[in-house]
Amino acid sequence: MSSIKEYLSQDHTRCDELFAKMEDSANKSLDNAKESYEEFAKATERHFQMEERVMFLEFEAKTGMTEGPTAMMRHEHAQMRGLIKQMGEAIEAQNKDKFFGLSETLMILMQQHNMKEEQMLYTMAQQHLSAEAPRVVDMMEAMIVE
Amino acid sequence: MQFNGLSLEQAPPISAPLRFYLTAPLFAILAGVLLLLSDASVLQSRYSIDSIVITHAITIGFMSFVMLGSLTQMLPVLAGVKMYRVELITKTSHLALVFGTLFMIMGLKFEMPLLNTLAIILFASGFFAMIIVILMAIKKVKNFTPTVTGMSVSLIFALFSVLMGVFLLFSYIDADAEIYRNIVANTHSVWAIFGFAGVLIVGVTFQVLPMFYVAPKFKDFYQKRVILFISLSLVLWMITSLFYEAYSVVAKLWLVLFFASFAAIFLQKIKNRKRKVSDITLLYYKTSSIFLAFGSLFWIVDEYYFSEHIVVTSIFIGGFILSIMIGMLYKIVPFLIWFHLNGMGYMSIPTMNEMIDKKWALIQFALFVASLMGFVLSYYIDAYLSLFALAFIISMVILQYNIITAVLIYKRVKKTKPDFDMSAFA
Repeated sequence: MSSIKEYLSQDHTRCDELFAKMEDSANKSLDNAKESYEEFAKATERHFQMEERVMFLEFEAKTGMTEGPTAMMRHEHAQMRGLIKQMGEAIEAQNKDKFFGLSETLMILMQQHNMKEEQMLYTMAQQHLSAEAPRVVDMMEAMIVE
Repeated sequence: MQFNGLSLEQAPPISAPLRFYLTAPLFAILAGVLLLLSDASVLQSRYSIDSIVITHAITIGFMSFVMLGSLTQMLPVLAGVKMYRVELITKTSHLALVFGTLFMIMGLKFEMPLLNTLAIILFASGFFAMIIVILMAIKKVKNFTPTVTGMSVSLIFALFSVLMGVFLLFSYIDADAEIYRNIVANTHSVWAIFGFAGVLIVGVTFQVLPMFYVAPKFKDFYQKRVILFISLSLVLWMITSLFYEAYSVVAKLWLVLFFASFAAIFLQKIKNRKRKVSDITLLYYKTSSIFLAFGSLFWIVDEYYFSEHIVVTSIFIGGFILSIMIGMLYKIVPFLIWFHLNGMGYMSIPTMNEMIDKKWALIQFALFVASLMGFVLSYYIDAYLSLFALAFIISMVILQYNIITAVLIYKRVKKTKPDFDMSAFA
């Protein structure tokens, strides 16, 4: 049985690895990067939704904090979605410089976002939702991306 | 509760770190100019006024400025806490430290006790305000990671280094204090460099390297213990060098062992990173660990040559710290600008890579490394010192230019307000 913190932190690592793989293939040629870009974008979107549609809701319901950390995390998700979309456009336009400029920006944004989640939000979520943790993890696991 | 770091309006204003980052290269330029004007033979002694003045233009003017600016910025992200009255404290401390450094340089160089007295007051107030406010914020942290431990330990060493530094400056005003000068200077310099700067760098690297380059994490045991070991060896080094001089080499070996191990592990982690991209920051990181390895080696060898090579050791160790800091500036400045502009809702803003010209960053790097190697060479053959000083000055002017270009992009975008996109808030 894994905790909310472990489950989502491991998913961060998985997304990081897909990110590295995508950059690696983009470095060779942007044409080849399409597939790994899709893979990364899909995994990241799934992660965002697991939080936004499952964990954040449970957290907000339990603590009553809707304007607190989860609102900030949603805002950062929007920033990251914007960058990921622009990266897809850069691949279409075959603009390598633009792609790597965006991926660099995304990387740092993503990392400082993950750090805040792993060190603060997930820890808090695990504390507040410890009794429901297995159920929350199951729901995230079973979620279908919209 | 620890929500502070999670809300944008409580993140420090961009001016707080940028103020420090924009001033740092200016002091490095000043150090270069002072070097150009100095007599090479005077610089052979670490205790000459010229050596002290140049060293402090770099250590206080550049290094501590970058560290204080970064602590301000990193505190909410890495520790989840914010500083009390961050704008007021950073603004006033920055001003105090700028004038403190300038007064000290002039006070020592032209033997003006009044300026030295003013410098003491400004340093004490500027440094203590920053250190204490940051430590107070850290006290609120519940989840102590090795990085947060590194930050607090580093600040405690900073506190003592400043106290000793203030005493040392006082010894140039009151002749009675002079007899203690060299012995205090010894601990002051080692604690400031390895304790304040070294520990902070080690602590932050634990978190930053695996993150930004998807590199393997440092081993838990290493992360948890190395800062403790470094601190113990620094204290042991002070005690032995004060009372049991003959044994101080043991403490030194310990200290060097931990830093050399860090350099080696750092290089190995970089090599095994999953993100294969290479950029100017990575180039600086690699260089910094090579400088650190050489610095450690020279410091030990120096033990058997009656401190003949201490200046060379200092150049290498200085190169280690400067490299890691400049490398970080190339990443953090563009990111902060992007982050703050994006946070205001602007979407079509330059990406991080478009803010600083890669070519200029590379030229800056090449000149920097060449000048440091030149300084090492100049210690033995001093004919070309001014040439290398000039290279160093140019490199720092370019660094300043590179940071300013990025900041100007921030100003320009803010002024022209391109396509304000509300979808970021959807």
